[in-house]
Order: sequence, then C-alpha cells, then structure tokens
Amino acid sequence: MNRPSVDEALRYLGAARADPELRGQAEQLADELAAALQPRYVWTVCPLVQAGDGFHLEGTAVELPGATAQKMLKGCGQAALLACTLGARFDAMLRTAQARDMARAVLLDALGSAFVEAGCDAAEEEISVRLPGLYRTDRFSPGYGDLPLTVQPALCAALDGGRRLGLTVTGSLLLNPMKSVTAILGLSDTPQPARVRGCRFCALAGHCQYRKEGTTCGC
Amino acid sequence: MDAEFFKQGIVILDGAMGTVLQQRGLPPGGVPELLNLTDPELLASIHREYIAAGSQVVYANTFGANALKLGRTGKTVDEIVSAAVSIAKRAAGTQAKVALDMGPLGELLEPMGNLTFERAYELFREVAQAGERAGADLAVIETMTDLYEAKAALLAVKEHTGLPVFVTMSFEADGRTFTGCTVASMARTLEGLGADAIGLNCSLGPDGLAPLLRELCASTRLPVIAKPNAGLPDPVTGRYDMGPEDFAAALLPCLEAGVTIFGGCCGTSPEYIRRLAAALEGKAPAPRACDRPAFVCTPPHPARIDGVRVIGERVNPTGKKRFQQALLEDDLDYILDVAVQQEEAGADILDVNVGYPGVDEAAMLPRVVKKIQSAVSLPLQLDSSNPDALEAGLRVYNGKAAVNSVNGDLQVLDRILPIVKKYGAAVVGLTLDPDGIPQTAGGRVAIARRILDAALAHGIPREDVWIDCLTLTVSAQQEQARETLKAVRAVREELGLQTVLGVSNISFGLPNRGLITQNFLIQALGAGLTLPIVNPNQREVMDAVAAFRVLSGEDEQCRAYVDRFAGAPSAPAPANQAKQDMTLEDAILRGLRGDAGRLAKQALDAQDGLSLVEERLIPALDKVGEGYEAGTLFLPQLLSAAQAAQAVFEAVRANLAGKGDAPVKKGRIAVATVRGDIHDIGKNIVKTVLENYGYDVLDLGRDVPPETVVEAVKTRQISLVGLSALMTTTLPAMEETTRLLKALPEPPVVWVGGAVVTPDYAKSIGADYYARDAKQSVEIAKKVLG
Repeated sequence: MNRPSVDEALRYLGAARADPELRGQAEQLADELAAALQPRYVWTVCPLVQAGDGFHLEGTAVELPGATAQKMLKGCGQAALLACTLGARFDAMLRTAQARDMARAVLLDALGSAFVEAGCDAAEEEISVRLPGLYRTDRFSPGYGDLPLTVQPALCAALDGGRRLGLTVTGSLLLNPMKSVTAILGLSDTPQPARVRGCRFCALAGHCQYRKEGTTCGC
Repeated sequence: MDAEFFKQGIVILDGAMGTVLQQRGLPPGGVPELLNLTDPELLASIHREYIAAGSQVVYANTFGANALKLGRTGKTVDEIVSAAVSIAKRAAGTQAKVALDMGPLGELLEPMGNLTFERAYELFREVAQAGERAGADLAVIETMTDLYEAKAALLAVKEHTGLPVFVTMSFEADGRTFTGCTVASMARTLEGLGADAIGLNCSLGPDGLAPLLRELCASTRLPVIAKPNAGLPDPVTGRYDMGPEDFAAALLPCLEAGVTIFGGCCGTSPEYIRRLAAALEGKAPAPRACDRPAFVCTPPHPARIDGVRVIGERVNPTGKKRFQQALLEDDLDYILDVAVQQEEAGADILDVNVGYPGVDEAAMLPRVVKKIQSAVSLPLQLDSSNPDALEAGLRVYNGKAAVNSVNGDLQVLDRILPIVKKYGAAVVGLTLDPDGIPQTAGGRVAIARRILDAALAHGIPREDVWIDCLTLTVSAQQEQARETLKAVRAVREELGLQTVLGVSNISFGLPNRGLITQNFLIQALGAGLTLPIVNPNQREVMDAVAAFRVLSGEDEQCRAYVDRFAGAPSAPAPANQAKQDMTLEDAILRGLRGDAGRLAKQALDAQDGLSLVEERLIPALDKVGEGYEAGTLFLPQLLSAAQAAQAVFEAVRANLAGKGDAPVKKGRIAVATVRGDIHDIGKNIVKTVLENYGYDVLDLGRDVPPETVVEAVKTRQISLVGLSALMTTTLPAMEETTRLLKALPEPPVVWVGGAVVTPDYAKSIGADYYARDAKQSVEIAKKVLG
C-alpha cells in the first residue's frame, strides 16, 4: 500500500522545520489518508510521430507543440501517457476537514499533493516493469515549460480518464478532481538526457519562496 | 414484447458501441455521436449485428449527446438524438427495442465541480425529450459514478417523458463509485425515485461485478441489470483480457444472484452477446430474497435502521438566538458548523429545520441541505410543515432522506405524502389529528394505523413509515409518560414500524432536567424506541445510547462501548493543575479550541466582549502571527490558533446575542476565488484568519463570475475585496473582476493573491494590494478597515 511522504508534504507547506508535534500530526494524518483511499492511475503507450513543429501521438487526438515537447521527446519512438488521481473522495475528505478544522485541512491538502505524486511514481514503476527494454524521459505535464494546458482534454480522452478514473477537465482546463495529474514520458531505445525536473525548468523560479529561503520544493 | 418487457424473464441488451467503433476505425479523439450524421450505415450495421446475436434492446448512439459535450461540434441535441434513434429504430424494426442512451455530462456536479444540480437536470431534460420525440422505447441512464447526477437525469426523464427508465452505475472493486457511493445507497435512492430497473455497467468484468450485483439484488425489489466490461484493458496493447466464452460463463453467477437483464460494456462485441445469449438460453430467473430494513442514506453513508439511530436536533432555530441570527444573516457557515458538531458527537441522522419568521423557508431549506451535504455525510431528516419547502429540499437532497412530519390529519397526509412518495423519502407520522393528542396509548396507535394506511395507499413502502408517539412534559401531565411508552411498545410490536420520539420535552420545567431526560430515554429505548431525537452534544444522552446498544446486543462484543469509555475516567476528574493555570492567551497560542471557548466564557463574566477581543484576543493572535513571520510557527499552527480565536468569538457573539446587542464587527470584507478556478483552500485559509481578527467575511465561494463579485459589493456594503487565483488560466478573470470593481462609483479596495500572482502582476491589473499569505491579508485589512 502506498503512503504519502510526510517530508514532501511539510516541504509543500513551507514547514520542513516543523516541530515534533506538528510532524506527529502529519504522520497520523498520512496514515489515515492512506487507509481511506489510494491513488488510482491508468497509462497507455502510443507511437510518436513528428508532425509539423510538434509531435502527434498515434491513435489519439493528442498533439504536443512547443519547445518543451521537442526537447523532451527528441529521439523517442513512443510515449507513455499517464493519469493519476486521488479522486472525488479525497476532495470530499478535504471539504469535511475544512469545515471541521482548517489546520488539519491544510496538512491534508499538502499530503494529498504528495500522495498523487507517489501515485505517479508507482505508475512509472509499473511502466518500467512492463517495458524493461526502454529508456524513459522525466515525466512532464501540460503547464510545464511551454506545453499548453489546451492539451489536457485530448490527453484525458486518450486515457479514457472519465470512465476509468472519474477524471474531468473543466472549461478553464483544470483537472477535476483536484488532486489529479496527467503526464507524458518519452520512451526510447537509447538513454534520454533531457530533463524537466528542477528549478531550471520551473516557471515560478523567479519568485519562488523556497529559493528566497535558500531551499527548493524538491521537485 | 410489451412496455413492461423488462419485468418478464430474462432480457438481453447489446454490447459496447464505443470500443467497437474504435475497432472499426473511428478517428481518434472524434465525437462518436457525430457518426449519427456522417455514417449512419456503420451504426446501423453494428445495431443489426447485435440484434442478430440476440440483443432484445439496442442502445442508440447517444451516450454523450448532451449540450455540454456537443457544445463545440455546432450540432444540436435534437439533431443528433433524432438521427441516432431513427438509425437504431430502422435497424431494430420489430425485433428489438431502442433505448435512448444517456451518459455522464462530462463535468462534475456541485459540490465537486461547478455544474449545479438544476443545470444538470436541464441538460438531461433536453436529451430525454428529444429521445421520446424521436420514438425511443425506453431511456437508459448509464456509467454514472455520481448518484446526484443520476438523480438529476432520472428526475428529468420521469418528469418530462413517459418512458420506462433504467439506471446503471459504475463501481470499483471496493464496492464504491469514484465519488464514494455505496451499492445500498444507490439501490434505495434510485428505487425510491422511481427507476424501473437498476444495475451496474462498465469498470470491471463480470467476475468483478458479481459480488456487487449480489448486494444490489438483496437491496432492491427492482429488476437488476448487469452490463460489465470484457475484463480489464492492457495498458500496452489496449486489449481487454476476457474472451467471449469466459465472459458468458462469468455472467452465470450473476444470474444466480438474481440479475435478469444482461449485456456488455467496453471491450465486448456482437460475438460476446452471441455467447451470452447461448449461455442464458433456457435459463430461468433465480428467486430473489430482498432484505429491506428501514433506511436513509447519503451516497457514501448508508444508514440501515436495524438498531438505535440517534437523530440530532440542533439544526433548528427554536429557542436558539444565535441560530436565529445566523438564519436572518444568511450565515450558512454557522449552520454547517452546528451540523458538523453533531456528526462529531455521534449522531446518525440530522434533523434540519430552518423555519423562522422572516426566512423564506422554501428558498432556504434547499440551500441549507446543499451546504450541509457539502461537508457532512450523515443522512438528513427535513423538518418542515411547508410542502414547498419540503419539495425544494428533497429535490436537491443527495440520497434518501426522511421527512418530519405528517400527522393523522387527512388533509396534511394528502398534501405531504405525494411529495414523500415522489422523492422516495421516509416519513415521520405524529400521532395527533385535528382533535388533538389522544390521551391514551390506544388512541395514538389508532392514528398510527391511519397514517400507515394512508402511506401504503400512496405507494410508500411500510419500512418508510416512522411513527412519533409524542413526548409530553411530565411535570404538566404526569400520567402521559406511561401512555407514550405504552404507545411506543404497541407501534413497534403490533405494527412493526420504526418509532421516533423527541425525548428532551419530557423534563421541561423540572430541576436537573438531564436526569429525567436520560431516564425517560432509557425506558423509551427499552419500550422499542429506535429513533430518538436528542441533542447529541449532551454526553449523558449519548452515554445512555451507548449502554443501551451493549445491552440490546447491537454493539457486538461491546466494541463501540469500549472505544467510547476505555481509558476515560468513570467519573469526571477534577480539572488538573495545568488546566487551571492556563490563560486565554495560552489556549489561543496552543490552538486549544475547547479551552479557549471555556476561558472566554469565564472572562466574559468580568469583561465586556469588545475589550476582551481588543485587549486579549488580538494581541495573542498577533503573537502567533509574529512566530509565523519568523518561521518558528507554520501554517497549520497559525490556523489552529485562528480556530481557537474563533471559539472566543463565538463566546462573545453568543454573549451579545443573549443580551440582544449587535455583534462585534470591524468591517465587511468579501473574498472569492475567481471564475474558472476551483482551488479554493487558499481563499478559505485567508477567510478563517480574517474572521478571527473580528472581520465580517462574506465568502462568495469559488469559480465566482466577476458580475457576482460586483453585485455583492454593491448590495452588501463591502469596502474591501480579496480575490484569489491559483492557475495562470484564471488570471484574466482576476483582471476582469478587478477592472469591473474599480469602475464602480465607489470602488472597494482590492487585494489579490494566489500561487501564480506576483506583486508586479497585482499592480499591473490595478489591484491595490498583493498579499503573499493570510498574515499579509490581515495586515491589509487592518490598514484599510482598522
């Protein structure tokens, strides 16, 4: 069974130096969350073809324009698409927590963010087990670099995210339920040097509170 | 086949449409419903293949044919639906029935998403009417994971067409839908609302659905449908892992469980249906045994009434000044808080009464129902004598509710029971009539029989009739306590109905009321009371219930009792030294809500509310704020302190409301998460902290259109507005809202914040301030409002 990382959650809250009492609360809440629900994910693999100045994922309506996609997927013959969510049940837990105790709610919110990332890690692990011969790029998502959020509906449709995860995309291109991630990984026969994780690739790096304090968010 | 074909023997539906179209080259990402216009022959051929394979019902290709999903195609619902139904009818001829297929709208309903229940209903109404006009034989609502959405669709079909209607939902292996709905909640809610057959489709293979179908068959009297996937898809190949033969074989246990209507969902094809039809050839439906206790529910919380279930009485303005004030000021957060406290105290069902002079009950009850259901999962009992309010409340209620109440007056019964029946609610019947309250148990039981007969005549099942034999004040009519207990016993034993009593009336006018109330409760439970209406926040009441559940055997192995009392002292211990020395400031700094409220009440004996707030509360909060700034305290601790401060404010407000004074208010602020944005925890944090500095905060919610913010500022005397946005895609809405606010003759001060907002951006859109966090928001409020 998966469990959210308390360290990661506290870092999201800017509370990496939390005292033992606060950390203890977070640990207990992490246990409760993991017992109540688990991240769900689906993934699929598609051939990748160059189309104009972007990529097309065969068998889907997904087009990936822009420099981020170019850099990440160069030399990849296929891509894995994945979606992971904590589902509407997490959102309901969070609503209840907000009505009862906001302090608990912000901890739960941060743990939820850490949990959905843990779910993505588990999905990536499964992909690596199923496709042992292939090298993977970092996973990247609509909104990273210049990959537009407008990719979201087609990505969600390609994964049948509505039926299989209860995932929807709002009119303003946000995923709902709230703790949800869609991501793309390039798959190649040769090692992939391209990376997107880390401050160098983050749009918020210029005014990031962590960096002002001399730390990072850990992504 | 006649109109009620689904009640007779075994019925075979069709298999997948979507995955078959993909196999036959549906362009990826295409809208399958457009094929109704572009390639009718392809669809007709699939329908014909299913009918040749044995399908007696085919689903027209209308799964996503609603205005929301068709929006970008430029096609109308009517065009698509009439084409789809015509194609299916031509293919079916007289050999098969044609179902109008209605899938989810593709956006989440409130409170998960922004789509209101009313809008969802309208979208489904359009589809249902188009389907009936086009000549569909029945409507099928399928692949639902949200019971609320299924209810909107079902009401739309039932209120606007004469079609029979099936509803199938998608469950995961853990027995819940994605939104947390249970099988029992689905069954009882949809049956109550008048579905003709219900079942499960999609998500799992027949082997995975079989245990859930067994539970469904035990929970409903309706015919049950199974339309499973061909197992699960492989992520690499996309192929479903169950072949036609295995699929058909795996459906036989579903037949044994009582399913009579069979078909296939994703991954199936005409071959699967052929095998399925062959496997079912000559088989007879299995006998069904239905287990029907009295029952109310919300989707995640099925409440079987098979023991004592406590109904919390606190959501009610009678005799409660603070609650009355909340109703008049439209303070739904306070009402939610009263509900939350009762849930935490162990109530099983919450009575909801919002009737008060000056309150439009028919408008208020549905809003309060939605508000409570957004954060509390307990079933509700809607308490009103106003039929319009009851109908409005039941309509938006998610699940199966109870109604409190009717009585033996035939006029009342004729007015209220049709509403109870329509929405599938349970109903409380009071044993009184126009002649008053009978003074004998026998007289009350006679009225109970009259109520039961009337309910049965309206088609309300027996288990949904609950009888209240009425508690009278023992100090005024001493002999009546015994009559009430006698009547409870008779209703339980002779009529076999659930019994309700408002218990605390008994002790009115006597000293040490708690003792009398507790004793009467215990005797009433012994006589057969199953649904006591009490204040669950009173410890001795819930203790008595806990003890009764042990003695009645309901609390198996005394687990709940042990959990409640193990480790707790059997008698209240004297407050320990540390607690006695604790100051109000300590309680706030440490975030101890209970202690802060208690100490504030004590302090109010010697100090007035305003000076308590100014001289003690605010300085303590400032100290917490400094720790937060310095990085020695973190957000959860800041919020704990804020909530402890809230307890102090509540004490001050209650004190003032008691004296009839105006509440302490420092100035009115509106906060909103802008249009398009659904991430509102940041805004909620800011609100919590501001309120605890004494500001009156109007929370406009999330995904708020600019016009709504402007309207609120104009009509509610607001001088400071906080706007939050989390995503870059919603920043334009922040800009537009700010621009409209600044164009007002008396523009409010605007401050903005949120993950992607920067000080430069704030300046560029004309906002007055940028706040990084809740603490900075308080600084701004102090500067602007003092």
